[in-house]
Amino acid sequence: MAPPGVDHSHVETLVARAALELHRGSVAELINLFEDQRASARPSRAVALAALGRHPARRRAVFIGVTGAPGAGKSTLVGELATRLLGAQPSWRVAVLAVDPSSHLSGGALLGDRTRVRISSDERRFFFRSQASQTALGGLSPASYDVCRLLEGLFDCVFVETVGVGQSEIDIRFLADTVYLVMTPLGGDEIQFLKAGVMEIPDHVVLNKSDAKQAARRAYYALKGSLGLARPEDADKMSVFRTSCVSGEGLAELSEHVASRVAMAGDEGAQPPKLDREAYFFERWAVREWGQRGARYLDRELGGGRQLLARVSGYDAAQQALEAGFVAHLTATRTS
Amino acid sequence: MAERHELVNEAGEITRDRPWIFRTYAGHTSARASNALYRKNLAQGQTGLSIAFDLPTQCGYDSDDPIALPEVGKVGVPINSLDDLHVLFAEIPLSQMNTSMTINGTSMWLLALYIALARERGESEAALMGTTQNDIIKEYLARGTYIFPPEHSLRIIAEMYEYCLERVPNWNASNVCSYHLQEAGATPAQELAFALSTAIGILDSIKARGHFDQAQFERAVGRVSFFVNSGIRFVEEMCKMRAFVALWEEITRERYQVREAKYRRFRYGVQVNSLGLTENQPENNAWRILIEALGVTLSRDARCRALQLPAWNEALSLPRPWDQQWSLRLQQILAYETDLLEYPDLFEGSPVVASKVEALMTEARAEIEKIDGMGGVRVAIESGYMKTALVRSMTERLTRISRGELTVVGMNRWQEGLASPLVSAADGGLFQVDQGGAQEALSALQETRAERDPARAKQALEALKAAARGGENMLPASIECALARVTTGEWAGALREVFGEYRPVTGIDGQRLGLEGERVAKLRARVQRYTDERGRRPRMVVGKPGLDGHSNGAEMIAVSARHVGFDVVYSGIRLRPEEIVASAVEEGADVIGASVLSGSHLALAEQLMTLLAAEGASERIQVVFGGIIPQADIPALEAIGVKQVFTPKDYELMDIMERIMSLLDAGGVSPG
Repeated sequence: MAPPGVDHSHVETLVARAALELHRGSVAELINLFEDQRASARPSRAVALAALGRHPARRRAVFIGVTGAPGAGKSTLVGELATRLLGAQPSWRVAVLAVDPSSHLSGGALLGDRTRVRISSDERRFFFRSQASQTALGGLSPASYDVCRLLEGLFDCVFVETVGVGQSEIDIRFLADTVYLVMTPLGGDEIQFLKAGVMEIPDHVVLNKSDAKQAARRAYYALKGSLGLARPEDADKMSVFRTSCVSGEGLAELSEHVASRVAMAGDEGAQPPKLDREAYFFERWAVREWGQRGARYLDRELGGGRQLLARVSGYDAAQQALEAGFVAHLTATRTS
Repeated sequence: MAERHELVNEAGEITRDRPWIFRTYAGHTSARASNALYRKNLAQGQTGLSIAFDLPTQCGYDSDDPIALPEVGKVGVPINSLDDLHVLFAEIPLSQMNTSMTINGTSMWLLALYIALARERGESEAALMGTTQNDIIKEYLARGTYIFPPEHSLRIIAEMYEYCLERVPNWNASNVCSYHLQEAGATPAQELAFALSTAIGILDSIKARGHFDQAQFERAVGRVSFFVNSGIRFVEEMCKMRAFVALWEEITRERYQVREAKYRRFRYGVQVNSLGLTENQPENNAWRILIEALGVTLSRDARCRALQLPAWNEALSLPRPWDQQWSLRLQQILAYETDLLEYPDLFEGSPVVASKVEALMTEARAEIEKIDGMGGVRVAIESGYMKTALVRSMTERLTRISRGELTVVGMNRWQEGLASPLVSAADGGLFQVDQGGAQEALSALQETRAERDPARAKQALEALKAAARGGENMLPASIECALARVTTGEWAGALREVFGEYRPVTGIDGQRLGLEGERVAKLRARVQRYTDERGRRPRMVVGKPGLDGHSNGAEMIAVSARHVGFDVVYSGIRLRPEEIVASAVEEGADVIGASVLSGSHLALAEQLMTLLAAEGASERIQVVFGGIIPQADIPALEAIGVKQVFTPKDYELMDIMERIMSLLDAGGVSPG
């Protein structure tokens, strides 16, 4: 199917309404566009990003990754943090992108319990969106990165909440500027995570549900100990927070920590280089879309994701370039 | 010497048993209208009152709260303050009345109002008789009128036992309900185990508080009563009752060392099953109700203390007074015309019954132990274990009906029949809610607020909060609130401030429908085609707008939609229409499925459509409705833009999914 023409003015109107007033319907429709993984949506995405880039109300979001096993209380915690950020920073816009697992059987998904995030629907500086993992490994949805490219220009702070299965949540390491791992003191999680190698992912750790005082204290010291073993080189840089969404304990400290990460965004060098992030997700996309042969082509013929991205203007253009080049390459190898 | 088939009294004379208490669950529109109804029912030979409160009263909102307005006076009587209670009980002597109140989240408040009423009327507080339902566990699982988190709710229950034991000794502070568990899909063993675990949870928390010595504690055990369901498999149900009696004896004796036999007795009332009542051929429900009544009356050793029956048309609408009278007549015929009450227990010594009872007890004991092992009923609620188990049972039940493994006459077999003359009356055999009824409650509320002493009311509320924070019994402070004309919304609001509001686990995570085969495959293919054409899966927001807590239908729709490949957002009950619309818009949903069983579908549909229009999303997002919706209301719903309406006769989940998919495929044009 040939890509349909892009309705420039419609996309630009959506971007303007989204950027100016965070108009809910417009943000949602734009996200739909960035979730559409077909090649036909690419030109519209490029138009949207260009319009957003020019828009004076453009923001530059910091991505806060929140990962941890199901039941650790991630959603409730994110809700509490978002509430506090919105309260403390009257000009900030905050989004939550929550990823939930899809059924292997039907492809359908039950999407995040939005009501764990208890922010009034009248609060227009807040936006919540769920995504289905579509059975992708890595803890995010195949479209998460694309959607984040959009959200980056619309918000000041974006919480990205992963599926939370533990093993393979490495994607969030590349997507987020700062990653918090949420654990519970009662789960014996610290041992599990050590085994699973998940300890390599977070920048900081949150011991949530710390209302069980005794257990929380024990877990805190056990965790401090195991961090020293798991991350000998940087364990001292990692903070361990103790929080309880029931008593409110520790939430102020944690939300100030998050706020400081967001405020630091202005300082150059505080964030991972954009190109690393783009290249990582570009290579992930290449494998998903074009398989191992496509990935090899990207490596050998185009010099890898980083080089390609540096050469062409932007992510969408790089996708276009790989696609065109690889299709031509396939045709050539077949006819020769 | 009397024969073994005869009943003899203490004087050795042949006698018959006194019948159980006949109750009719009633109340609607306003305190005045409900008072008139109660007095009429009492004159008809009814021997106790069973008060139905409207949803705002049950959930702790004043009638003029925006979330309350569509529900005022719909499923019960609105009570905003002590002034309303004066009207509700006008000319009804409290000391002679056994009053059962179906009230849970605000149970302490209604008891406080009742005590305050007795004080103002100069009647004795100690003479009050009756029950506050006050079983919060089943509210989290099945009925939905909880307010506070489990910890604080259990404290409220314990404090009511502590207050009542000496001062209102004939009051049942709570009534453990297995009724609603069966309505939510519980098997007999689950019904036994979950209800008994609830009772254990209450008694354990009373015990742990340490306010009672052993003698007082035993009396408190004796005050625990139960409210049980009775389904269509009436032999098994009769055995379930015997199992309840035996297990309760075991628990009170072994776990709590209750020495006096009378405090170990399993006291229970019954409402028979509504879940199995059908919208198709509704006249058949009359027979179902009769058979279900037999299950809880036939066996003398396990006979209910009180019985209330639903009406034949409950799957169509709320019952009319005549429908309730017809059900009352059933009880009267059973008790007075038949010879049922002339015999000792009929099943004593039956090996079949004994073996069935033993099997149920074994299964229930294992489940009780499992919940004990988790840390008790509070943990089993907070972790979602019990809710998930019930949703699974309900999913299995519907799967079996769909496959034809479970026969429901008139629904999945013998669907063809002659038209029923019962629904051809001018009112269609349905109850017509008086739409102007809310006005009376609103004016009374304004009057109360205008005439009270604001300083006293404020002080009473402060004292309530202080008691809540300080760990004192909150009932005395609540009684002072009642006397000071504090309103229902203010009482609950004050405690919400202290305790917070609870949202339990929805229980639908990880549920699977047992339906596969060609139909499901075709639907999945359709969903895939839709996905390929639009670059994203169809998305559905399943919502329960307003205060109605009956979530079975919504849960089954959410599970089914995912089963065929939709991405589904379902966030449980009690959402404001604004929240449902916001989530549909933000999530980029294609369709909202709203479920309403309280009769407020028209008002709520209007609110939803207005809000969608304000977001500019009326065209992009389709709206379908499900619930107890009279056929006569469907044109009005369609006129305001609702695209499909599903009622209890649409029990085939895949039918519903096909209709929703057709709607989406047609781009929102209703396919006829």
